[in-house]
Amino acid sequence: MKSVLRTGMVVLSVLAIIGFIVPSNALAVEEIKIGVIYPLTGGAAAAGRELRAGAELAAKIANNVMADLPMTMAQNKGVKSLGGARIKLIFKDHEGNPTLGADLAKKLILDDKVDGILGCYFSSVSKTVSAVCEQHGIPMINGSSTSPALTQRGFKWFWRTTPHDKWFTKDLFELLVGLTKGKVQGVKAVPKKEIINLASACEKTEWGSHVSGLIKEFAKEYDFKLKKSLLYAAKSADLSSEVRSLKASRADVMLFASYTSDAILMVKTLKAQKAHPKIIWGQDAGFEKPEFRSTLGDSISGILTRTVFLPKVVEIKKLAGQVNKLYKEKTGNDLGGASARAFTGLQTWVAVLEKAGSTKPADIQAAANALYIPGKELVVPWQGIKFSTSGDELGQNVLGSGLIGQYQKGKDGKIGLEIVYPFDVSSADMIFPFAGF
Amino acid sequence: MEAVRNALDFSDFPRLDLIVAGSVGIAFIIFPLFPHSSFAMSTMIQFLMFSLYGMGWNTIGGYGGQVDLGKAQYVGIGAYTTAVMLILWDVPFWVSMPIGMFFSVVWSFIIGYPLFRLKGHYFAIATIATSLVLKDIFEVWDFVGAARGLEISPIKYHPPDFLRLIFKEDVYYFYVILGFFFIGILYMNWFRKSRLGFQLRSIKDNEDVARSLGINVHWAKVKTYAIATAFVSMVGSFHACYIKSIEPEDTMSLDISILIALMAMLGGAGSLWGPIIGAGILIPLKSYLKEWLGAQAGMVGIDLILYALIIMVISAFEPRGVWGIVEKIRRRKRS
Repeated sequence: MKSVLRTGMVVLSVLAIIGFIVPSNALAVEEIKIGVIYPLTGGAAAAGRELRAGAELAAKIANNVMADLPMTMAQNKGVKSLGGARIKLIFKDHEGNPTLGADLAKKLILDDKVDGILGCYFSSVSKTVSAVCEQHGIPMINGSSTSPALTQRGFKWFWRTTPHDKWFTKDLFELLVGLTKGKVQGVKAVPKKEIINLASACEKTEWGSHVSGLIKEFAKEYDFKLKKSLLYAAKSADLSSEVRSLKASRADVMLFASYTSDAILMVKTLKAQKAHPKIIWGQDAGFEKPEFRSTLGDSISGILTRTVFLPKVVEIKKLAGQVNKLYKEKTGNDLGGASARAFTGLQTWVAVLEKAGSTKPADIQAAANALYIPGKELVVPWQGIKFSTSGDELGQNVLGSGLIGQYQKGKDGKIGLEIVYPFDVSSADMIFPFAGF
Repeated sequence: MEAVRNALDFSDFPRLDLIVAGSVGIAFIIFPLFPHSSFAMSTMIQFLMFSLYGMGWNTIGGYGGQVDLGKAQYVGIGAYTTAVMLILWDVPFWVSMPIGMFFSVVWSFIIGYPLFRLKGHYFAIATIATSLVLKDIFEVWDFVGAARGLEISPIKYHPPDFLRLIFKEDVYYFYVILGFFFIGILYMNWFRKSRLGFQLRSIKDNEDVARSLGINVHWAKVKTYAIATAFVSMVGSFHACYIKSIEPEDTMSLDISILIALMAMLGGAGSLWGPIIGAGILIPLKSYLKEWLGAQAGMVGIDLILYALIIMVISAFEPRGVWGIVEKIRRRKRS
């Protein structure tokens, strides 16, 4: 009897000591709930599926040990500093509607008691959702909304991993200037007068209208002539008048900011009206979706799109290849700009939680502000993730960068994206001028 | 004084209606005292907002028989007036809301006067066109933030702020919109018994007969249209403070105009309770079908199919909406 009592006392003492040494929340937390708000229905449903799959894959890696993947979150089962707590994702569909997005954010915060939010792809929805998070003091990490204004509002509970449109649009103009200087692989220097006339058509929500403004700004700065600048509704069932207007401008370079269904419709209409600019460039989003490629087939050969991830990245980054393989097993598609950024967004969440060792919002806030993820741990070709904590852009990752890809027909006869910018990582000769549809 | 008496007089309704309406009203008042989710609360606020939109639509669309599919433009005018005045000049909601209503009424006179020369489908199409044109203007107008819209920054104000209507908890918004809702019912109760209300019903039945009775048909329609817009604008102002971020694509979309008309028609156009019933069916249905089937069961998109199916079934069964079904049952019982 005595020995039983003694054993009991020893066990109790050990437990008490553990209780003092280990933070209480580390023992208490079994799962960490992250609310994920994406467009799962509507015109951007295809992007939503990609984003969801990217976030789910990151959660799967974080919740299991995959030692062969050279990233911290793959080495532990769950969040180590929180006693191996698993990441649980709660998905919500905002349909591209900012009002609905705000309601869903409230539901996630107040009803589902999430520890943080990830989302929302549409910049307009990220705007309302981040305002709700700010009001409730709940951390939000944004992986894929690129309107520059989002990180210029002085919010303390909002962090963005992706580079934004100012950087991407600048990349485009650097490419155009590079063309005139003979820097582009496989293209001799093109006289500037041959590509000086630009025309843009951007969807007219927060994101597209901002891109349109940036194109105007950079055209002036880089001394190009913007002949036409249009805004259109992404839900439009017909874009023929917009395309007629673009054609009438006789632009050498046509620039677009479109979501999935409108990107497809835009290119179909350009083809139907036999538009023949020398360059067609899309600001990612719809121009990069698998549906864009599968619907339009070979006719997109020569079209450019900016992105943060191309399948070609796997050739220069082993980790990207490994994750891409897992993603392909899950979805049948290669990682794209949306899925790679959703993956990185959730990876950042895991890293923040690991660093915080707590689910208290203030601890998460401090951890996010002090976070550094080296580029070698990311699938995207960035230098890393480190958020700005001062200046005009609070919460913006300062180590991101973009790519510009061009659809080209490979040796296997399949259409794929080749890197044409940055020039030093080009994976193929650029097709110039655009051969027509 | 007589107007107030008329507004408070519901004696022409059957006792059952009054008992049900009174019970529902009390249930609304005490709803926040019971345990509820934030989702239920935001659904309730949406329901009250769309009930008010529907009441506004019901004046011209229900009692007047003029199918207006451009109400979103007045949501926009109200929302933008409040947002611009708050952001630029720190004008409280209670001042900017009536100013927004004033702007909406002025705009309604400007477009209503020529529009009411049109009839039937032509009028409906013209209302859509005016709304879309105004939306397009807002999308390129830098003063109101163009397509990017305006944001009432959550870090600039310190909730609870009753003057500016900036709250962190939705319960405050709930009681504000509930107050508007009760005032809206009283106003509609007065309206249906007012001279203008009778004139409109007469116009709806037969315009030529109404004209022969000495009613200025055109002026009666224009006046009622202005009343309808004031309702919608008031809720638009509330919407700006509630959502805190407005942009033309979200606030002034054709979807909102159609939803407003759809709810009133589904509930029963031309009846006091119709728009409330319509909003009471469609708003929770839309929210909860989406939550249960879309989010929880993973059947993304099924909610929209079911939602559409329910609307079609009700419309096919009784074109006068749910209130038409209630009246049909009552008539059968009487006979």
